[in-house]
Amino acid sequence: MTTPLIDRVRATLAATLNLPESEITIATSADNNEAWDSLAQVNLMLAIEQTFDVTLDVEDFMSLTSVQGITQYLQSQGVA
Amino acid sequence: MQTQSSPVERLLRVRSRRELIEGDLPLPPGLSLPDANKLTAHLLALEPATATLRLGIVHSYTSDLLDPWFKLHAAIQGLDLHLYQAPYGLSPLEAQADSGLVRHAPDLTLFLLRREDLHPRLAEPVAALDGEAREAVAGELLQGLGDILGRFRAAVGGRLVLTLLPDLYAPGLGLYDAQSERSEAAWWGSVKARIGGFLREGLAGASFLDLDPMLADLGRDAFFDRRLWYAARFPFAARAAAELARRVLALGAADRLTRAKVIVLDADNTLWGGIIGEDGISGIALGPDYPGSLFVDFQRRLLDYQQRGFLLALCSKNNPEDLDEVLKNHPHQILRGHHFAARRVNWGLKTENLVSLAQELNLGLDSFVFVDDSDHECALVRRELPQVTVVQTPAKPLQVPSCLDRLARLEVLALTREDLEKTRMYAQERQRREHQERVTAGGDALEYLASLGMRMRIALNDRTQLARLAQLTQKTNQFNLTTRRYTEEQIGDFLAHPDWVVASFSLADVFGDSGIVGLALIRHEGPGGASIDTFLMSCRVIGRTAETAFLESVLAWLMAKGVAVVTGDYLPTQKNRLVAEFLSNHRFAPTEDGRFVRDLQRQPPLTAGDMPVSVSLSEPAP
Repeated sequence: MTTPLIDRVRATLAATLNLPESEITIATSADNNEAWDSLAQVNLMLAIEQTFDVTLDVEDFMSLTSVQGITQYLQSQGVA
Repeated sequence: MQTQSSPVERLLRVRSRRELIEGDLPLPPGLSLPDANKLTAHLLALEPATATLRLGIVHSYTSDLLDPWFKLHAAIQGLDLHLYQAPYGLSPLEAQADSGLVRHAPDLTLFLLRREDLHPRLAEPVAALDGEAREAVAGELLQGLGDILGRFRAAVGGRLVLTLLPDLYAPGLGLYDAQSERSEAAWWGSVKARIGGFLREGLAGASFLDLDPMLADLGRDAFFDRRLWYAARFPFAARAAAELARRVLALGAADRLTRAKVIVLDADNTLWGGIIGEDGISGIALGPDYPGSLFVDFQRRLLDYQQRGFLLALCSKNNPEDLDEVLKNHPHQILRGHHFAARRVNWGLKTENLVSLAQELNLGLDSFVFVDDSDHECALVRRELPQVTVVQTPAKPLQVPSCLDRLARLEVLALTREDLEKTRMYAQERQRREHQERVTAGGDALEYLASLGMRMRIALNDRTQLARLAQLTQKTNQFNLTTRRYTEEQIGDFLAHPDWVVASFSLADVFGDSGIVGLALIRHEGPGGASIDTFLMSCRVIGRTAETAFLESVLAWLMAKGVAVVTGDYLPTQKNRLVAEFLSNHRFAPTEDGRFVRDLQRQPPLTAGDMPVSVSLSEPAP
């Protein structure tokens, strides 16, 4: 896989929130993006699981609320 | 060749919705949400929608997460979806006149409820209830459900669809549950049957979408995502969310899109494995062993579709005698000659055979589902007859018995006595035709009609046949003056209204009884006036002058009630050319504004002696 992980996270976010990819940057988080509400958070967690083949715990649902956080989490799970 | 691409990449390259509808490309069970969104956008850009569907959702658990899946399946079915989510909770407020739901004017109102919404006692173990308490809870539950759904029925039109979320956990008594006299599963099964009965008999335009079969299909662990339930009160795993949306949209499509009526089947490699002309009757795969066992099961399941009210027809390139041999003498053949309403077994083009089947059955090609294993035949029919739904028989025998399972057009919303007897009625029609050929060879048409001994029964304002009357307005395209479609609920309103007359008829003759095949909706207008809102007749009784007997008898009844002038309309469509002259042929005079009017004093109705049909008329006691 040649596309950097951060860009794949951004693409997954954009497709889930129905936003153009250009609107999602490394600094995007639930706090600074209106479309990223609590509902989108659940959708996003499902999308992350399905796209990167990881299994999240209920606790992760609550905490993975930024592009940076998600990327770091995926790296820690060995996703390259 | 596209051998390198993933299922999702292939989905995102489809060129028409029908590739998804007809099952060429099944949705992968693990379709992710981002991919679902991409596919929805791709489909919406591909073709315009063929109808709108206004969906309203009343829910006592989180349901917004279903939205993307509803959008996807609406896009697949070609429905322009307008979605409204009521505020959380089952509140009678949403059934009030100015609620968000009522203002949304839904075509389909989906209730996503939990069992304990229907009775607080269900929050505790059912097994703790003894016999009497079980019955009491069931009775109260039904009464409460009837009350709340009745309020919604009065407030919104369209279809009501009830779902009750299965339990997140297995029955309380565990492996012993099925044996216990306090069995939770047995109790729930009996309550569900009563709920189903209530929605069928007690409430117009309502469907019970039972989620338990879906739970069985997917398995409890694949159905629920307990993390989402405990984090967000949303019960469904992604796969279950997608499947629920598919089932709901199938009901929506059954309501909003043209109905299918006939399944036309190829024979070789569809009803059995192999080719009868080459392999011979003993060489085809049909019997207890693989792969013949799968074709036996497919035939068995085709009989299920007949029980749903679909006609079966055969269209096969074969020598007729070879095919007859299998139908008559193969020990494992399930579908015999009498199961098929019509057949074409010859070496002609399948497209021409389909057109001639449509003529024989008096049905539009857009009510046909064509099943054939051949790439070539499927492509030909798709190109030349785009209105026909084409399902290619899977090349893998294991997939054959379920190849029609996901076709929304084969779901039905109601079943009437007529549906179940349809094949027999078409067989009677064939006998009538043969009889006609014999009689008219030596005489004339009137002699033929007289020889049928026709008896018409007209029912006025009969409440007991709501489903059939609504079905007639929805299904009748050819012999239909105005093609107005009505729901059961609307027909119920006409029946309740003193200005409206709802007249229907059934017709019996020496060959059999047609069931209810004609409907007239007439509105009183001012003193001495009436107008025909709807006048229609099923195509299976065309050509027996029943339409004249029906019209004249209803006019005579109106005249006896003081009506002097009757107005009618012909609203042309693609399909009702047949009745363009109907009103003028029945002594209605065209008016300047394009309507038709008949003065009953000057043009009095015919009486029974003038017609080859004996008529009896019944109306409810006042």
